[in-house]
Amino acid sequence: MSIQDELKSAITAALPDVSCVVGWGAGPEPLRAAPLFIRGEADLEGFSAGFLSVNNPALYLPSLKGSKVGVVVKGCDARSVGQLAAETLIKREEVHVIGYPCRGVIDVDKVAAKLAGACETGEVAALREDGDDVLLNTPKGEVRLAKKDITADKCGRCAFPNAGNADVFVGERCAPVVTEDGYADIADFEARGLDELKAFWEQEMSRCIRCYACRNACPLCVCRDQCVAMSREPHWLSQGDGVRDKLFFQIIHAVHLSGRCTGCGECERACPLGIPVLKLKRALSRRVEKLFGYKAGGGDTPPLLTFLVEEPTIKERDWK
Amino acid sequence: MSAENVKKFISFDALPGFLARAAEKNAVYVPRREGNAVVYRSFKAGDEAELGVRPTESCKHVVFPRGEELFSFAREADKEEPGKRRLVLTEASEPGAAVVFGALSCDARGFLAFDPVYNGSGTGGTAKDSYYLRRRNRTLIVVKACKNALNTCFCNWVGGGPASPQGADVLAVEAEQGLVLDILSGEGTAFTESLPAASEAQLAAAAAAVKAAEDSLPKAADVSAAPASLAALFSSAEFWNKESAHCLYCGACTYLCPTCYCFNITDESDGLTGVRLRSWDNCMSPLFTLEASGHNPRPNKADRLKNRVGHKFSYYPSLHSGRFSCCGCGRCIKSCPSSVDIRKIVLDAVKEAANV
Amino acid sequence: MSVLEGKELRIVGFLCNWCSYGGADTAGVGRFTQPTDLRIVRVPCSGRINPLFVMKALIGGADGVLVSGCHPRDCHYAEGNYYARRRLEVLKGLLPVLGIDPRRFEYTWVSASEGQRWQHVVSSFTAQIHALGPAARFTEAPEPARLGA
Repeated sequence: MSIQDELKSAITAALPDVSCVVGWGAGPEPLRAAPLFIRGEADLEGFSAGFLSVNNPALYLPSLKGSKVGVVVKGCDARSVGQLAAETLIKREEVHVIGYPCRGVIDVDKVAAKLAGACETGEVAALREDGDDVLLNTPKGEVRLAKKDITADKCGRCAFPNAGNADVFVGERCAPVVTEDGYADIADFEARGLDELKAFWEQEMSRCIRCYACRNACPLCVCRDQCVAMSREPHWLSQGDGVRDKLFFQIIHAVHLSGRCTGCGECERACPLGIPVLKLKRALSRRVEKLFGYKAGGGDTPPLLTFLVEEPTIKERDWK
Repeated sequence: MSAENVKKFISFDALPGFLARAAEKNAVYVPRREGNAVVYRSFKAGDEAELGVRPTESCKHVVFPRGEELFSFAREADKEEPGKRRLVLTEASEPGAAVVFGALSCDARGFLAFDPVYNGSGTGGTAKDSYYLRRRNRTLIVVKACKNALNTCFCNWVGGGPASPQGADVLAVEAEQGLVLDILSGEGTAFTESLPAASEAQLAAAAAAVKAAEDSLPKAADVSAAPASLAALFSSAEFWNKESAHCLYCGACTYLCPTCYCFNITDESDGLTGVRLRSWDNCMSPLFTLEASGHNPRPNKADRLKNRVGHKFSYYPSLHSGRFSCCGCGRCIKSCPSSVDIRKIVLDAVKEAANV
Repeated sequence: MSVLEGKELRIVGFLCNWCSYGGADTAGVGRFTQPTDLRIVRVPCSGRINPLFVMKALIGGADGVLVSGCHPRDCHYAEGNYYARRRLEVLKGLLPVLGIDPRRFEYTWVSASEGQRWQHVVSSFTAQIHALGPAARFTEAPEPARLGA
């Protein structure tokens, strides 16, 4: 049985006990899937998990709290489930987790870069997977692209491709891409220097339209309609179009995710203007990992919800 | 055909110089590639306009800024009465003239959905939005016709086309290493005055390009029943819960949309000074309908998405002689982080209502 | 406008009511000379300090931010400063990636009786900020000058 069929059987088996199973189905274009809510076997027809399964279905779990639901997860999505459960934002026993080995997902922006000059991604009429490649039907003929060249950055530093906390795991576990996320990207980014980074964020955030897709795509941003960004009292942000306000929202998001962000990258992917907002969160994750040896998503108590009287890793300034 | 209607031509080689000269007089906005996005930026000499890849955002912010200062206020010390402060209001400065070069035809048509709402035509001229109108009247729009359709395009469903002249001052069609310019307004005539007339060969090539672009669009779906269908499904929680299940209720669709015109007004003060600001708002946001009592008549995303789709395909047409407030650009589909497809919702609604 | 305009920098201090605010008071009562750049915001506990207070000050134009609370094991509320320590230590990781010099933010502990320590902390932090100079403000304009232009 193929992985798809095995997953479908696992979903079918789960359906009697859950209100729905969240997975992926056909999207509006050949390069994009859409989150799929499977409520009965009829909905299974469009189900597919694999290279296009970009969205993180854990996003929907807090809003479905109170009833038993199923969710099909990639390794990174499973980390979000783990973190939500660790923070009691969902009840783990209310979620039936179906895992499968994930070998990476597509980054449509990378496809756009590969096709640049020939056509836009929106002109791709069909996508077909062929082993380690994909074949795209474009107005300029068939284009073959290696999956590794159009896979999301986060997949290149994936240490958890197999949902570790799955109730049902389908397929054979695959080897992690790396054993340790070294945060080399953040180190390189910081090496650009303070002046350049300030200018970088001014430039990037000037494109921001304040749609809050980054926030709403984040599985751990659970405040939803109560977000402080919308509060008038205290007034953290004005409604203006200025870079400072827009950047400050990203700071709010990053700070509120420190010690919680599992690096699923949905914030950055969701941004319609391509602003690399995950960098801020990763900078904090790196710091948290260094200070407390904590990787979000494993199910342990988040480090900022606890403390040690003597902190062995915190070297306070002595003011000599 | 009068002399003013002669079509002009500009080669791609001559375009940067032409835009640079235009930018000396007015603010000229062109699509520019930035990272993975294409956004409208004010043109400076040496810039390259992106006229191939279609812009991620619409150009509505040129006429309807994301954050527009209506006036500023300050509490100044009163010289007459020491210890008292008086409120001083200062009107915002008048915006200058602007040119959008390389808008999509759906972007230009988007303003036609704004106009009846803000020019007073819906209220017999009593409720005119002067802030909108002064920018609208000072903005010249040069549309660059699309060469082909994207998967998410559906302008032909709602009365548009890849080379629709509606709402444009100048319509530019790519042909023979340049642009053939169809002049559609007096302002357009002045803007293109310095350019030579297009040759017969250029005109023929342009006509062929338009034909090819139109042929690249799949046949339009019939959405004439949408207003009645959506109205019929207004109370169907089941339908809207199903359609909105994967929606994130962010504002990407509305803020990228060329026809979404809703705004908020806030006073943003900093100590003793501040501004009254008009900023974009969207019906996906909880604050959009939150009442002072704390009650929110649209508490969940199903209500909000219903409003967005219903407004475009039912409520607006019922107020404005049947016109949909959707220009079919497909940005809401293309840029939706969770792949919500407004076309599917409208077609599902038509189908569902027919079955009821 | 202050007569010291141009000579003073904007340093914001978030001080715990029970220790450091008292410590600053002790320094004042003891007439220890101190630089005057610091604007003090009194908070009930260092654990009350939302890291966003620090960030809002820095983005809003502060040249430096100093947080001071009770020494560990000495919190008026038993453990507020322990949480603060972790939050503020983590926050330091965000500054460089934003292009803000991490030396513009420090946190420390000063008790109500440590007037001299307060004098030392505030003098050395102020000197540190003066050495860095005024912070470059983030632009407010929707369209900033282009990179490399």
